[in-house]
Amino acid sequence: MFPQFGATAESLSKASTMVFRIGTDAHLYDDPDDVSIAPLLDSKFDSEKCEALKRLLALIAQGFDVSNFFPQVVKNVASQSLEVKKLVYLYLLHYAEKRPNEALLSINCFQKDLGDPNPLVRAWALRTMAGIRLHVIAPLVLVAVGKCARDPSVYVRKCAANALPKLHDLRQEEHTSSIEEIVGILLNDHSPAVVGAAAAAFASVCPYNLSLIGRNYRKLCEILPDVEEWGQIVLIGILLRYVIARHGLVKESIMCSLQCTDSSHSEKNSSDVDFGLVKESRDMSGTCDSEFVNMVSRCYIEGPDEYLSRSSYANRVSFELNGAQFTSGKSNDDVKILLCCTSPLLWSNNSAVVLAAASVHWVMAPKEDVKRIIKPLLFILRSSNASKYVVLCNIQVFAKAMPSLFAPYYEDFFIYSSESYQIKALKLEILSSITIDSSISSIFKEFQDYIRDPDRRFAADTVAAIGQCVQRLPKMTHICVDGLLALIRKEFLTNDFGSGDQEAGVLVQAIMSIKSIIKQDPPSHEKVIIQLVRSLDSIKVPAARAMIIWMVGEYSSLGVIIPRMLTTVLKYLAWCFTSESLETKLQILNTASKVLLGATGEDLWTFKKVFSYLVELAECDLNYDVRDRAHFLKKLQSCNLVSRGPEEGTNGLPEKDLHVVAEYIFGRQRRDVKAESINYRFYLPGSLSQIVLHAAPGYEPLPKPCSLLPDDLNVPEGTCSIKKGAADYGGTDGYGTSSGSSDDEEESASAYGSQRSITGSSGGSRGDDSEFTSEGNDNVDPLIQISDIGNASENENGVSQSSTNLVELMSNRALESWLDEQPGSSNPGISEQSKVRKSSARISIGDVGRRVKPKSYSLLDPANGNGLKVDYSFSSEISSISHLLVCIEVFFKNCSSETVTEITLVDEESNRALDSADQASVVDESSLLSYDNVPTLVPMEEIASLEPGQTTSRILQVRFHHHLLPLKLALFCDGKKLPVKLRPDIGYFVKPLPMDVEVFMDKESHLRGMFEYTRSCTFTDHIEELNKESGDSLLIKDKFLAICESLALKMLSNANLCLVSVDMPVATNLDDASGLRLRFSCEILSSLIPCLITITVEGKCSDPLNLSIKVNCEQTVFGLNLLNRIVNFLVECVLF
Amino acid sequence: MPPLMGIEFLCRVADVLSEYLGGLNEDVIKDNFVIVYELLDEMIDNGFPLTTEPNILREMIAPPNIVSKVLSVVTGNSSNVSDTLPGATGSCVPWRAADPKYANNEVYVDLVEEMDAVINRDGVLVKCEIYGEVQVNSHLSGLPDLTLSFANPSILDDVRFHPCVRFRPWESHQLLSFVPPDGEFKLMSYRVKKLKSTPIYVKPQLTSDAGKCRVNVLVGIKNDPGKTIDSITLQFQLPPCILSADLTSNHGTVNILSNKICSWSIGRIPKDKAPSLTGTLVLETELERLHVFPTFRVGFRIMGVALSGLQIDKLDLKTVPNRLYKGFRALTRAGEFEVRS
Repeated sequence: MFPQFGATAESLSKASTMVFRIGTDAHLYDDPDDVSIAPLLDSKFDSEKCEALKRLLALIAQGFDVSNFFPQVVKNVASQSLEVKKLVYLYLLHYAEKRPNEALLSINCFQKDLGDPNPLVRAWALRTMAGIRLHVIAPLVLVAVGKCARDPSVYVRKCAANALPKLHDLRQEEHTSSIEEIVGILLNDHSPAVVGAAAAAFASVCPYNLSLIGRNYRKLCEILPDVEEWGQIVLIGILLRYVIARHGLVKESIMCSLQCTDSSHSEKNSSDVDFGLVKESRDMSGTCDSEFVNMVSRCYIEGPDEYLSRSSYANRVSFELNGAQFTSGKSNDDVKILLCCTSPLLWSNNSAVVLAAASVHWVMAPKEDVKRIIKPLLFILRSSNASKYVVLCNIQVFAKAMPSLFAPYYEDFFIYSSESYQIKALKLEILSSITIDSSISSIFKEFQDYIRDPDRRFAADTVAAIGQCVQRLPKMTHICVDGLLALIRKEFLTNDFGSGDQEAGVLVQAIMSIKSIIKQDPPSHEKVIIQLVRSLDSIKVPAARAMIIWMVGEYSSLGVIIPRMLTTVLKYLAWCFTSESLETKLQILNTASKVLLGATGEDLWTFKKVFSYLVELAECDLNYDVRDRAHFLKKLQSCNLVSRGPEEGTNGLPEKDLHVVAEYIFGRQRRDVKAESINYRFYLPGSLSQIVLHAAPGYEPLPKPCSLLPDDLNVPEGTCSIKKGAADYGGTDGYGTSSGSSDDEEESASAYGSQRSITGSSGGSRGDDSEFTSEGNDNVDPLIQISDIGNASENENGVSQSSTNLVELMSNRALESWLDEQPGSSNPGISEQSKVRKSSARISIGDVGRRVKPKSYSLLDPANGNGLKVDYSFSSEISSISHLLVCIEVFFKNCSSETVTEITLVDEESNRALDSADQASVVDESSLLSYDNVPTLVPMEEIASLEPGQTTSRILQVRFHHHLLPLKLALFCDGKKLPVKLRPDIGYFVKPLPMDVEVFMDKESHLRGMFEYTRSCTFTDHIEELNKESGDSLLIKDKFLAICESLALKMLSNANLCLVSVDMPVATNLDDASGLRLRFSCEILSSLIPCLITITVEGKCSDPLNLSIKVNCEQTVFGLNLLNRIVNFLVECVLF
Repeated sequence: MPPLMGIEFLCRVADVLSEYLGGLNEDVIKDNFVIVYELLDEMIDNGFPLTTEPNILREMIAPPNIVSKVLSVVTGNSSNVSDTLPGATGSCVPWRAADPKYANNEVYVDLVEEMDAVINRDGVLVKCEIYGEVQVNSHLSGLPDLTLSFANPSILDDVRFHPCVRFRPWESHQLLSFVPPDGEFKLMSYRVKKLKSTPIYVKPQLTSDAGKCRVNVLVGIKNDPGKTIDSITLQFQLPPCILSADLTSNHGTVNILSNKICSWSIGRIPKDKAPSLTGTLVLETELERLHVFPTFRVGFRIMGVALSGLQIDKLDLKTVPNRLYKGFRALTRAGEFEVRS
């Protein structure tokens, strides 16, 4: 309407925001590179440097890589201005790992800053230096941290404590003991701020070295309330672990309630006036939850995976701690002081502290004192949705284990409409587990409101919760069932009108709840069933109908009225059968046959007729499930239908059997199904694992009770007891999980071993093969061999040859077999070969095969690996498990003077993933075949021990996710974990694809254009060869052949290829190699797409040759990468 | 790291940032990216919180303010990084800056309460409780030692304290004894449960038949708290089965937002009439009657009253400085105040 006015308003608002932005760094963010940054960095004014650094920071924030300024920025570390320093540090921490060499330049400045009189400068220098994470400077950082740990400034000492985990993350074993020593010093600090940081360092550096805690336990407890909040959270957890490890569980706590009889319960009842009303129900709950509590406590200590996997149920219960592992909270001072010091923390402002303190009380406090954690827990419920969810997850476990604790506070779990669905569902679950007689009526009133909530999913959950409440409190049955029936009547009114699945969900849930209520005591609910059956006509949701029909069959002989109405119901069902949905149809058939089985007297005839009618209908149904069910039931009921007549005597016995079978299937003896299996997983309260319900990485259950012996505390140095601690927790801790799965690894690895020996022996039986071929083949899985032979023989146009030859042909050492071949043995498909044969008739270069040496790379340097040297080379064999896997031969050599034990290689990521997903189960080979399940690393057979100087090798099957990026593996030896990187070689991501030259040409002609890539390079390897040849001139080789030999050798020792053909030039000039052409073929392992390589030679034999390499491949990226790789290795000069 | 610790820390970061920048949104963060970087670097180190105490942070990294902005425009030079380590990092009261000096010594205590209530479909007050905070704004020289006592501490159901509060005196005599941080802070939060009444009533009536639903909501003062109730708002989400709505009120404005949230802002309740919202909702074509009902969320604010009834008895200083001014205020507003229909 008033465009000009609008414009003014807009510009006005713009202007006003501009005013707010004046003086901020906004302009730097908007155009960070509108001036050139480099000169500013070199400026002598701090303010200009500052501006340049801010611009760099803006670029980093926007995602640009500005690491090219690194040298200039590093120079500014020496600046006196703190702001410049701070900005430089921010930059440095961001890029140091990327530019390690330049980062080293800053070290001197840090060293200088560490001696600065200003504590802030010292602290920043230490923080940045430790944050750079370069292995080279780790010793320097260690010295600096050691110095700063004794600094007069609290802040610097705190930063020293924070630097320790950074150092520890570099995983340099030689520093471990000194790091732990510093942790000990800092834990002993008198300033609470330092102790908090030291506790965090302890938790990440050496959580098992509890003897460190033991020395200062009293002091730590007393200082706890003054420690800053974040430190408190960690420290509380550490102290709890220490007390459990040192003294065991507390006898009076709920964790040990199974041992204590109900006497304590009744004691509590009488002492507590509030709970007087609910005495009866609580006794019931008290007895039923003791088993639950016992499970919870076992889970806390052992970790649920281990606990649940223990075989028999009886075993679980009977396995108990002996009496010595308990302590009494009343007499033990350590327990008392911990409880005393953590109880004020229940009032903390920080909800994480409250939860941590509450979990200590939950585990340790005497039963009658546990209730003090309830109000604080309910208080921290009033916070953001995220923390509310976390707190509710924890309360849920507490409430299930001890419903009486939360029963009086049911109002706190009433639901606000603004809460998220997850929170609502959790609250419902808690509500239904804490209902007692006194609260049930108000809870039901609430539930009635919830049912009318617009969120129908939530309404359905509410209906389910009602069912659960009734199962807990049978007294309420009638009211609830009436309510539910009313709901069903109400629901179906609206239900017709397609208000969606959610409405149906409510209805189904309601009938399900009624069903579970009826199950508890069928005879008293006869009328309910009748009502449901009556409503059948109006209920349209198939699942609901099916359930009601099931009830008809199940309770067909119940009471007096139901049997009488059965005929009508069955007739009705038969009448509407055709219009029903699948599940209802199946259920109708079942019900009809159940009714038939139980029928007697005059009804029988009607039922039979109805049944036969139904079966006839069903036999013509469109759905084969229904047809099958009909055939099955017809057969099963054949005796009932027909054989009542006397004439059918021929196969009476099977009919009798049929009758028994039918009775058994549809019989009314209900087996007692356990109401709910209580195989829940419990993790320590407050932990991430408790929220996600699986062991999150880094989760530790409580230590074994009394695993820390008092003598450990007197050991002056921590080292001895670390070992002990680690051994104690071996079963359950981080290392433990990997050792748990190592059994499987061993198993599968040994399976490979046996395979290998079989094929190896078969290779040996071929006898006449050269040593090399047997070596080359012995790891090939027989299965693959056979199929490939099939392919090969097809390629050879069905020419029959001895299998030995075929195997040789298909092996990547085809050159050898081919060059070695006697002129007499026919190879009709390859015409070019005859050419070569002519010119090379007498010259044997059969040793090419032996000279094909795959390149060896270093995986682990003895300097980093405690004297263990690990090399690897890509092997030409093909994995038997999945075509996605690449085989790598790994050589382990012990260069140290001590025996190295338990060497194994594990994939870092999958190890973690397995750990978190709890799927450390056997990786069976069949599952490996599908793409997604192929692991990154097939578990390697562990090397139990390696004597000094001994060498051993293993075949590793690896799936590289990318053909250029290295794969991170973890090498375990002597129980230590060393990270290593495995670099892929694209030359081995293919396997030889034997074909003859016509096929090659044909394929090549299909892969023109964008599938063809060419590069050229020079080749010099042959010159040396030729010179050598000319030196011992006794046997002058054909020059062409020499070139072709060295080229082929080079190709075959760097990639897993098959030589298809060699084109010789028409020899006009003996020295001119132009026109020499080699063809190689292979197929990509992962996709089985063929890949063709052609090398054409130009130039004179004695000079460096110009090669032009052409790759034809459908997979463009792979082809290009392969081409680059080939060019690279052809150019690089390797001395053989 | 326990999940709750992570959540709590993130909330703390958000608090600090919004305090520094006067709000928290993308633009503000972009405009002050350097400060945000510096703050984050100071607040967390290697994944573990380092300095989260706002007072210390404020001394280490100066918050942007008008003076510094103007200064930076004029001189082109702005350093917001302090050159010295705040003394408080080393002291045993890390929340307090070392030795501030004030000409006027002031301390203000505010009771800020939020009322959570649920009124069910029968109009019965199912649950009504107060979540309150004691907010203190202190400008006191030196190292003051304060004692705050309540007239009726027994009504408090549960409490949570700022780290500066000493636990012992509370346990024994329910006295809040503390050395306050400088500036504003939340001294304690408390909960008072099982209140018997709410200051206003909301009576929704929904009757539906023949594909139409009549809505009638009445709002009025129930138990006059003695002070004016203002900023009264009413919000509810229309059920998904409603096609269109036509709502009018005799007081205030009614808005229906695009996500089917209907909000009615009333403001103050006039003396002469009771505000009411009336109108009709048209249901989906095949639907005869409404079977799901919206929940009304009520907002209001009452200045000068703490509805929990909590009363501050007195505030004592151990060493009384000259010219001390003490102030008390109270405020109640609606928290999760829900009326089901």
